[in-house]
Amino acid sequence: MEVKLEKQYPLAVDADRAWALLSDVKATAACMPGAQITEQLTETSYKGAVKVKVGPATAQFGGTVDVTERNEAERRVVMLGKGADKGGSSASMDLTAAIVADPANAQACILNGTAVVIVNGKFAQFGGRMMVSVSEMLLGQFVEQFQATAQALAPAGGADVPAGADATAASPAPAPAPVRELDGLSIVWGLIKGWFAQLFGRRS
Amino acid sequence: MSAVIQPADEREASLAGIGVSRLRKEDARFIQGKGNYVDDIKLPGMLHMDIVRSPIAHGRIKRINKEAALAIPGVHAVLTADDLKPLKLHWMPTLAGDVAAVLADEKVHFQMQEVAIVIADDRYIAADAAEAVEVEYEELPVVIDPYDALLPDAPVLREDLAGKTSGAHGPREHHNHIFTWDAGDLAAADAAFAAAPIKVEQHMHYPRVHPCPLETCGCVASFDPIRGELTTYITSQAPHVVRTVVSMLSGVPESKVRIVSPDIGGGFGNKVGIYPGYVCAIVASIVLGRPVKWIEDRIENISSTAFARDYHMDGQLAATEDGKILGLKVNVVADHGAFDACADPTKFPAGLFHICSGSYDIAAAHCSVKGVYTNKAPGGVAYRCSFRVTEAVYLIERMVDVLAQRLNIDKAEIRRRNFIRKEQFPYTSAFGFEYDSGDYHPALEKVLDAVDYPALRAEQAARRADPNSPTLMGIGLVSFTEIVGAGPSKMCDILGVGMFDSCEIRIHPTGSAIARMGTITQGQGHQTTYAQIIATELGIPSEVIQVEEGDTSTAPYGLGTYGSRSTPVAGAAIAMAARKIHAKARKIAAHMLEVSESDLDWEVDRFKVRGDDSKFKTMADVAWQAYHQPPAGLEPGLEAVHYYDPPNFTFPFGIYLCVVDIDRATGETKIRRFYALDDCGTRINPMIIEGQIHGGLTEGFAVAMGQQMPFDAQGNLLGNTLMDYFLPTAVETPKWETDYTVTPSPHHPIGAKGVAESPHVGSIPTFNAAVVDAFAHVGVTHLDMPHTAFRVWQALKAHNLAI
Repeated sequence: MEVKLEKQYPLAVDADRAWALLSDVKATAACMPGAQITEQLTETSYKGAVKVKVGPATAQFGGTVDVTERNEAERRVVMLGKGADKGGSSASMDLTAAIVADPANAQACILNGTAVVIVNGKFAQFGGRMMVSVSEMLLGQFVEQFQATAQALAPAGGADVPAGADATAASPAPAPAPVRELDGLSIVWGLIKGWFAQLFGRRS
Repeated sequence: MSAVIQPADEREASLAGIGVSRLRKEDARFIQGKGNYVDDIKLPGMLHMDIVRSPIAHGRIKRINKEAALAIPGVHAVLTADDLKPLKLHWMPTLAGDVAAVLADEKVHFQMQEVAIVIADDRYIAADAAEAVEVEYEELPVVIDPYDALLPDAPVLREDLAGKTSGAHGPREHHNHIFTWDAGDLAAADAAFAAAPIKVEQHMHYPRVHPCPLETCGCVASFDPIRGELTTYITSQAPHVVRTVVSMLSGVPESKVRIVSPDIGGGFGNKVGIYPGYVCAIVASIVLGRPVKWIEDRIENISSTAFARDYHMDGQLAATEDGKILGLKVNVVADHGAFDACADPTKFPAGLFHICSGSYDIAAAHCSVKGVYTNKAPGGVAYRCSFRVTEAVYLIERMVDVLAQRLNIDKAEIRRRNFIRKEQFPYTSAFGFEYDSGDYHPALEKVLDAVDYPALRAEQAARRADPNSPTLMGIGLVSFTEIVGAGPSKMCDILGVGMFDSCEIRIHPTGSAIARMGTITQGQGHQTTYAQIIATELGIPSEVIQVEEGDTSTAPYGLGTYGSRSTPVAGAAIAMAARKIHAKARKIAAHMLEVSESDLDWEVDRFKVRGDDSKFKTMADVAWQAYHQPPAGLEPGLEAVHYYDPPNFTFPFGIYLCVVDIDRATGETKIRRFYALDDCGTRINPMIIEGQIHGGLTEGFAVAMGQQMPFDAQGNLLGNTLMDYFLPTAVETPKWETDYTVTPSPHHPIGAKGVAESPHVGSIPTFNAAVVDAFAHVGVTHLDMPHTAFRVWQALKAHNLAI
């Protein structure tokens, strides 16, 4: 099952700090609920894990993230994440994310994301019909956390980072967020809320 | 002999023989929860098996790591294809002349394919351990659409067949091509088309569906290493064939293999094939020397065991301007999934699809079926139909409607004009079948009268004329001919074994009897109806006749129960075995009454001396004599075995009519009325026939209105739970009205034709025709199933009929 997502999120943080965070895979991953980078394999390749809990059932996805492109000038990263859980599901995400400065407001920017998510196995079979809404919710939570983390970075520090240098080394890494599990119940609640909002939003 | 003799009709009634709505003997145990299904079998020391399955539809297996699974306490073994290789059991032959992987060998070909098995102390440990087996895959491009599979640059699915330019059914023209099979006369059909003034054509897809029996598949394999004997309790519609195959695969002599099909919770074709799970459980039991149980869950059943249909069909009819059909041409692309595992007679890779000229007298016809590999589960069984007859009937009934719409002829009238007439029987079709008997015209008129067809059409016209009508009304009419009772062994075999069937009857000294058959009931009520045949043939009350099936150590060899073959084939074997006993009984009775055999008349339950009702011997009297003091020169005992090789198929038929009201706002389709007239020849137990028809209509309703197995581009099956897959309950099921005519089969010993599948075969195109008919006034000639509210609503939108 394949889902294409194209999203634009306005962030209340300047473009430099947002880019400093985005170009740090490990720190960015930590903004994703339940996700964690567990090991750096090469300069551009990482091992990671995502834990999802729905009621009593837990699924743990283990996999790799490869940064295939990092464009400092355009503040863009392209990465490919692949993972599988032991219960017979696998997923991949081809993600292009970029930070675009807001010309009207130096203290704000826009996070542009395009992702092609492919899910196989049980997740596709049982969760397929909810995939778009679940993905949107997850991204929403991610963006919230991303903004908060970026705002906590030292201001304007990113501006001095020479192009091509290791962003992790150059910018003070934020304290890694504690690994939270993706809580299925809150997802379900979020979906219900979202559905009603959509329903009434359309009517009004 | 002064006692009053009970009148013959009373005696006949007390037998509860043919024609009596005898209550089902099976129900006493089922309604009390006392059935004995495979999962009820628990043997001492029994272990449990679970299967590691592929999450992806196409990929190369890079590595399998068993260590974590083996480390779990209670796990006895984890087996992969590499472990089966030394036994040459990692692949197995299919019933269709192909091979199928038992456990994926280097590659997986469909989602949920069996990759490894885990044997553990209990089911829960087995399931945990199956999750702990780590399998790494390299994903390969997935092919879901059979037309895409045939493109020149399509990925090669079956690398094991590389370089094989011919298969079990002739040349292979492409790496994903299985066979092309033709029937009829193409030149004659082309000539008919060239000369015809009217030609119509229609493309249609009969979607992939699954029989989804209430009981899933499973087995308990028990190998006794001391005796060298293998006993397997299995959910099989064909236990004797399983014994032969298991013996061939395992090397255990067939005499030491015992296959038992206990109570079976529905089969519908899903339980004909031999699945990897069975083979693995048997291997595990042989290796471990302990009984091993394997029971599928629902998701495994829908995802990996035999599906049905998935035929992409192009039909063409040539006709005169007044609607007389002159020619038929059909081209089919058949999606067989990853392995060709259809369960058809060997010579017919598309089953009996060439019954597709239907109930109509068509002079020239041709069909061609192309089998194709895709990344889907294998199968292609008869889901409550005799070998692709459902597809054939669907095609011809759709095509006749398309022609009627083109010519603006009423859909009943066009059938009248094209029916094979009564005097034409036995009728040889353009495809070479000899239809045994039929009488279609009166059956059609009976249905049209019963529903007041002209009034329905008038109501429909009024509804169409009203632009504000909240509903659309559709009338579906189908006049189908089934072909069942496979089959004459000159035409039909499975793995080389002719498709006869068998019966052994033993009359006990006190006049009760036991009968054993090569078939196996899965809800058909054999224990009830078979006894009725013997009761009528031998004059023994059906209440004292035991019927046993399913144990290969006691029952005579038979090909099993599918394709409505039990009554046409085994039912005939019963009558013939009974007649052998009857002939011997006559000799004994003549001896007892001291007259010649020719002086005896048979009456219900007794031989009597002609002209003297007081001088008689009942079958019970004869039975005692047979064991007590048989006539000199005659063997003691009273029993017989008969293997019946039918001279021909039987051809049941029916006329079905359905009225639907479609909600123009929501697309919901309400079945207002469904009238089903069936002619299955002699009726053995009308109540059971009624039940069979209700069941078949309900399954037909499910297929037409909701069942589907959708795949996404990655080969994920998105409908493998009962959350998605439609199984109608009493809530959704419409009310059924049934009716019948009786046109006995002239070649069957009691004239019976078989019925269980007619309602399925006949009803699906009827529902479909009704929905299409609701759209006919805007020029719609066809809509593909299933007619879910969403899909119907989409059609309403597309034709500006939605409100």
